[in-house]
Amino acid sequence: MSALRRATIWVPAAAALAALMAWEAVVRLRGIPPYILPAPSLVVRTLWSNLDSLLVSWLYTIKITFGALLLALAGGVMLAAVFALSRALELALYPFAIALQVTPIVAIAPLILIYVDSTTASLLICAFIVAFFPILSNTLVGLRSADPNLQDLLTLYGATRWQRLRWLLAPSALPYLIAGLKISGGLALIGAVVAEFAAGAAGRETGLASRILEASFRTEIPKMYAALTLVALTGMAIHLASNALGRLLLGHWHPSERR
Amino acid sequence: MSAAIELDQVDKRFANGVAAVQALSIAIAAGQFVSLLGPSGCGKSTVLRLVAGLEQPSAGRVRIGGEAAQARSAAMSYVFQEPTLMPWARVLDNVALPMRIQGAARAAAREKAHQALAAVGLADRAGAYPAELSGGMKMRASLARALVTRPAVLLLDEPFAALDEITRHRLNDELLALWGTQVPTAVFVTHSVFEAVYLSQRVLVMGGRPGRLVADLPIALAYPRTPALRLQPQFTQHCRTVIGALQRAEAGAAGPR
Amino acid sequence: MRPVHSLRRAWRRAWILTAACVLPATQSWASPDPVVFATNWKAQAAHGGFYQALVDGTYARYGLAVTIRQGGPQVNNRPLLAAGHIDFLMTGNLLHAFDNLKNGVPTLEVAAIFQKDPQALIAHPGQGYERFDRLKEAPVVLVAKDAQFTWWQWLKAAHGFRDEQLRPYNFNLGPFLANVRALQQGYAMAEPIYVRREGGFEPVVHLLADHGFDTYSTLIETRAATVRDRPDLVQRFVDASILGWYNYLYGDRHAANAAMLRDNPEISEEELEASVALMRSQGIVDSSDALRLGIGAMDLPRIRHFFESMVQAGLYRAGEVDPSQVAALQFVNKGVGLDLKRRLVARP
Repeated sequence: MSALRRATIWVPAAAALAALMAWEAVVRLRGIPPYILPAPSLVVRTLWSNLDSLLVSWLYTIKITFGALLLALAGGVMLAAVFALSRALELALYPFAIALQVTPIVAIAPLILIYVDSTTASLLICAFIVAFFPILSNTLVGLRSADPNLQDLLTLYGATRWQRLRWLLAPSALPYLIAGLKISGGLALIGAVVAEFAAGAAGRETGLASRILEASFRTEIPKMYAALTLVALTGMAIHLASNALGRLLLGHWHPSERR
Repeated sequence: MSAAIELDQVDKRFANGVAAVQALSIAIAAGQFVSLLGPSGCGKSTVLRLVAGLEQPSAGRVRIGGEAAQARSAAMSYVFQEPTLMPWARVLDNVALPMRIQGAARAAAREKAHQALAAVGLADRAGAYPAELSGGMKMRASLARALVTRPAVLLLDEPFAALDEITRHRLNDELLALWGTQVPTAVFVTHSVFEAVYLSQRVLVMGGRPGRLVADLPIALAYPRTPALRLQPQFTQHCRTVIGALQRAEAGAAGPR
Repeated sequence: MRPVHSLRRAWRRAWILTAACVLPATQSWASPDPVVFATNWKAQAAHGGFYQALVDGTYARYGLAVTIRQGGPQVNNRPLLAAGHIDFLMTGNLLHAFDNLKNGVPTLEVAAIFQKDPQALIAHPGQGYERFDRLKEAPVVLVAKDAQFTWWQWLKAAHGFRDEQLRPYNFNLGPFLANVRALQQGYAMAEPIYVRREGGFEPVVHLLADHGFDTYSTLIETRAATVRDRPDLVQRFVDASILGWYNYLYGDRHAANAAMLRDNPEISEEELEASVALMRSQGIVDSSDALRLGIGAMDLPRIRHFFESMVQAGLYRAGEVDPSQVAALQFVNKGVGLDLKRRLVARP
């Protein structure tokens, strides 16, 4: 592994460790009580002692996040392809997409729960709404960014619409899609957590948001931090995974992934 | 197999009101190598696109092999100034693309592509990605792609303009060699008088805005043409004739609309 | 000695003496203690006594400059007390006190304004929910987030409710009104009024307090440090609040209602009055020990008993918390306000 690759690992790790140590020091030196600001050591201990219940909730949140992300991917890409092929449909449907994007899910999550009885389904819908627009928007731009000379070439060769999509538009759009995916990955997680704050029900089918709320209402601040830590770690893992996917699919040719 | 090209009193006005060419009549015999020369803005690229069927004439007719030119009529190839390769695909698949679109199976298309690459001397780079090739190699791949379908008409829009002189000269010879094997009708747009004279049997000089045909100059030099030709007096003579026509064309462009 | 000198000296002595007597007494109105009191909801009749003490000058007479901070659906004022941003907090039930103690948060309850918790389950009439033991068969029970982790857990353990019935209650009557088989939570003196207004029917109301959830409610909570270092302040606030409640329930509450309407424009004067009537008829505030010892009365046996029933419901482990540590009983049970009540009630 080159020195540069090594640095991308140890520099952020060292910075994180330094921050954690500073946090621990501040809490100890100033005697801050755990219900105001728990020390990292306490958070880790709480995480460990509550690991079984937190992991169950974590798995549920991850299930919703990835389910929503897959739906967003499928929906966003399909809709982008439809819009790219039919200007009329784009003009007709794009306003709905925008309306969905700007509607805060905290407001509509309870409404969705009224229409859809299942908690899991309504959380998936909310997280999907949050995550799909960057994929739709970026993929559409990508489909439209194909090299005009290549477009002419395909016209010359008599390519059909589908051939154009397959040979030119789809590969041209891939870098943009990956860029959108990197954004949507984090958004799907946020959507899953926020939707559960607004529309989740304690007890069955609960994710990290319910754990956070429960800890908040019962003044168990270290447990709140423990659950939040899991959310943060999940976000980082999603980010790393999307980067790896980008390198895998684009590394051999796209400038954005060149080292 | 090659086709004759005919433009008959062609006008082309774009949607923004700009008239690119006016009352253009050109006849190119099947299998001829013709250069289109002229100052910027005289409509050379427009003529090429009209022949390719990528644009429709506002007036007049464009005929290929006696039939109206439509994009999608098979057997035309176009080489752009940029190599225009798909960066996400290997060179082999780039060259195989036209055949895949026209329905060939992958193995058969790749086989033909290999042969085309061999003809341009890129057989050993078939598995590389375009980003790994030099400018000259990418242009040769582009030529290979243009010729893999054995087109009746080969259209080239200043393909070597972005390359250095040595590579340019080498590619000139390679182009002539390739043309010599299939002998499609070739229309070569260029800025360079020397290149036009070196490559073609006829040099069409265009000028003015909108573009008109200013001169139609036959080049009576024998094939195969070699680099030594550039030093011979007939070559220089032809170039002088062409330059003169070009100056008249540029004067015409500078004159009153 | 010349007469003028001695006269001036005498005047000066008189002024000094007067100042020395008057100044301490005017200390309270000269610089009243600023106090921030946070409630647990938007202004409603259940907060009436506090607003009363504010607008009729009772807090001022006790040397307190009180600011009331509302809670609300998305607002959680609880952490502000421990963090030092507020001085007193309205606490809904003793479970919060037990949790604080369990987690080492140093707070104490100093008064219990409600002798009964008005938390209730309401249902559509004519669905068989007139009996409490039929409620656990309801397909849908709408319970808000904070309650899901507190008294819902008790309902499950003590009365056989199940998580499958649970749906989040977002303080919107729509889902309840739309489904005749649904139940929802509510305050016994508030939600029935809204249901009557929006749904046009009188719902069936089951007070949780009548079925074993016998916690005190609307407690005044403060930091243990405040109790230790400024007991006089605590006593004044508790006494003034108690008097405010007597005045609100039995006296002229127009100004208090107006103040609450300003803070929460979504309610109406009629609803406030209807709530007060229910509070009195249901004996939420002034009942049992309060009748004898004054509003705010608290005693340890009842706190212990509630803790035991919560242990049985599985919310706490036995011995996890010492119930005698959650309350400071020295500020109530002194009959404050009883004579005021007698005077108010005696008026024609």
